[in-house]
Amino acid sequence: MNRGPALDLATFSQALRQRGLSVTPDQVADMGRAFRLIDPASRDQVRDALRSLSISDPAQRVPFEEEFYRFFEHLYPADGDPNQPSRLAHMSAVKPVVEQVDPGLADGVTRSQTGASTLETLQTRDFADLDADQAAEAKRIVMAMSWQPSDFRTRRWVTDSRGPSPDLRKTIQRTVRPDGDLIPIVRQSRRLRQRPLVMIADISGSMEKYADMFLVFAHTAQRRLDHVEAFTFSTELSRITDDLKRRDIQSALAGVNKTVHDWSGGTKIGEALAEWNRQWSRRLARGGPIAMILSDGWDTGDDGLLRTEMARLSRSVHRVLWLNPLAARSDFRPATRGMQAVLPHVDELLPAASVRDLRGVVRLLDELNRSSHRG
Amino acid sequence: MIPATIEELGEALDNQAYYAADDLKVAIHLSLQLGRPLFLEGEAGVGKTEVAKALAAITGNQLIRLQCYEGLDVGHALYEWDYAMQMMEIRLLEARGEAERATARNIMSRDFLIARPLLQSIEAARDGQRPVLLIDELDRADEEFEAFLLELLSDFQVTIPEIGTVTAEQPPIVVLTSNRTREIHDALKRRCIYHWIDYPTPDLEATIVRRKVEGIDDEVADSLASAMERLRQIDLFKPPGVAETLDWAESLKLLGAGGLTPQGLEQTIGVVLKYKDDIDKVQELGAEAILS
Repeated sequence: MNRGPALDLATFSQALRQRGLSVTPDQVADMGRAFRLIDPASRDQVRDALRSLSISDPAQRVPFEEEFYRFFEHLYPADGDPNQPSRLAHMSAVKPVVEQVDPGLADGVTRSQTGASTLETLQTRDFADLDADQAAEAKRIVMAMSWQPSDFRTRRWVTDSRGPSPDLRKTIQRTVRPDGDLIPIVRQSRRLRQRPLVMIADISGSMEKYADMFLVFAHTAQRRLDHVEAFTFSTELSRITDDLKRRDIQSALAGVNKTVHDWSGGTKIGEALAEWNRQWSRRLARGGPIAMILSDGWDTGDDGLLRTEMARLSRSVHRVLWLNPLAARSDFRPATRGMQAVLPHVDELLPAASVRDLRGVVRLLDELNRSSHRG
Repeated sequence: MIPATIEELGEALDNQAYYAADDLKVAIHLSLQLGRPLFLEGEAGVGKTEVAKALAAITGNQLIRLQCYEGLDVGHALYEWDYAMQMMEIRLLEARGEAERATARNIMSRDFLIARPLLQSIEAARDGQRPVLLIDELDRADEEFEAFLLELLSDFQVTIPEIGTVTAEQPPIVVLTSNRTREIHDALKRRCIYHWIDYPTPDLEATIVRRKVEGIDDEVADSLASAMERLRQIDLFKPPGVAETLDWAESLKLLGAGGLTPQGLEQTIGVVLKYKDDIDKVQELGAEAILS
């Protein structure tokens, strides 16, 4: 190689950045210094050193090593992302909505061109029966919904004049001020924090129409609440939290489309929940989250597994809400084997087939909050 | 003394009965030489905390440990005034009739300050000493603490309004660990040398067992290590760590078992697996699947 090491590292870190690793200039400088601390002839030492200076998550080990071997040994040709056809292309009909809505408008609809009667039917009509224009309008309404954050008490203290216990540190600090003998007791209370919400959506074939709407719903939740985690599954579990964090709904959904590879596949709820329990429950179950699962319960997997994993999920979260679009129908009975397996571990079974249903979900979250904390 | 090369570091770790994989040695070496904190992640029981203990022993420095928990605040991590002593001092000054001449300085001096682990490590980092500061299970603390830590780790300097600024003469050796029950903010990890500790290879694990468990048979150590490897390949909710392997070896030794038998496995399974579902699963598979 005739290029100096500095140039190499700059190019290498550039390549890493393109793989999604955020390597800082400081880290690049450290890489340069690291070369003097190790045996530059040892491929493994160089690899390990550069790795410890550029990754910050075990999941990044694979892209790192791919880049490393490509870059330093020219073993692997660059492989581009397989170009997924955009399954969410039809979502581009949705336009961003003005964030703040007029509180006077009960339905939270801003400048709707739709007539009042159409609007009324939109509220209750099943998502599966909407045409493209109506679906776009329904999404607009969902995006404009307001959410009530649900709080719980953390272990951290904040100053609060009506708090239950004294703050000795602050009290003493004030005592030593030269303004008299009276000791004003400074009080404190536990700080409140928003309860996290975990949303897990079934995107299998039978759920297609509802899943689209639920993603819009999840995106709105993400914008309104502090801690929202979102996942999708049909045959495999995908985490879409980071995609939904993009402000613009279109780019958020485009991101989801890139992340998720099993649209309209079969339904393996048990496997998906098992994956969630294993990979995510310990990381996300802090602060007693509310788990919200959207699925019609048509499970093609093993229902013994589903029962076990559902039980485990319900033990690691505060409440389990199950949203089933079919539950809106008057003749609905949760009779499928999948629903039978999960029902004992579900706190609330709710319909989720129309705008009105989703509004009911938001209201229920608010009620859960009040009943558990304001008593 | 800080080992000058990776080979010396490896030997020193061996002497402390810490058997590290090669990539971990590189990460530790870089951390020591570049003066950056070492950020260790990995499943529970792979020996993250032990790294700090071994480093303290190798460098002949004091180990200062900060165990994190939710709600951990500056008063417990950095410093706290000793309120009881301050109150008593005020009363004594009054009793001696000296309260008139006393100033706030009297009771806001270093004598009345309780140094918590972070301040301890800054104060101890002088006269050529580089204490080992272990910030254990950072994922248990909350985000507020992380933000505070980020600031502290960049300049090892603390300002106590009543006393002044305390600065470390040289940066302490810092080891942070996380079990990954939640994500640590990227900004903090980027200040550090990051390393994910994997489960050891069966060979390395057998060595660890042989060296750590006195009087264990070489064959037993090998069979334990390969049983562990198989257990970790089963889809368990909580795969066992190295700590469990060592407990397992000790248990078998106590029971006087000559080797790892199906009966021994049944008797000691609770040492290795801590979830009922996992135990059920292994029993369903049968001892042969683990021991063969």
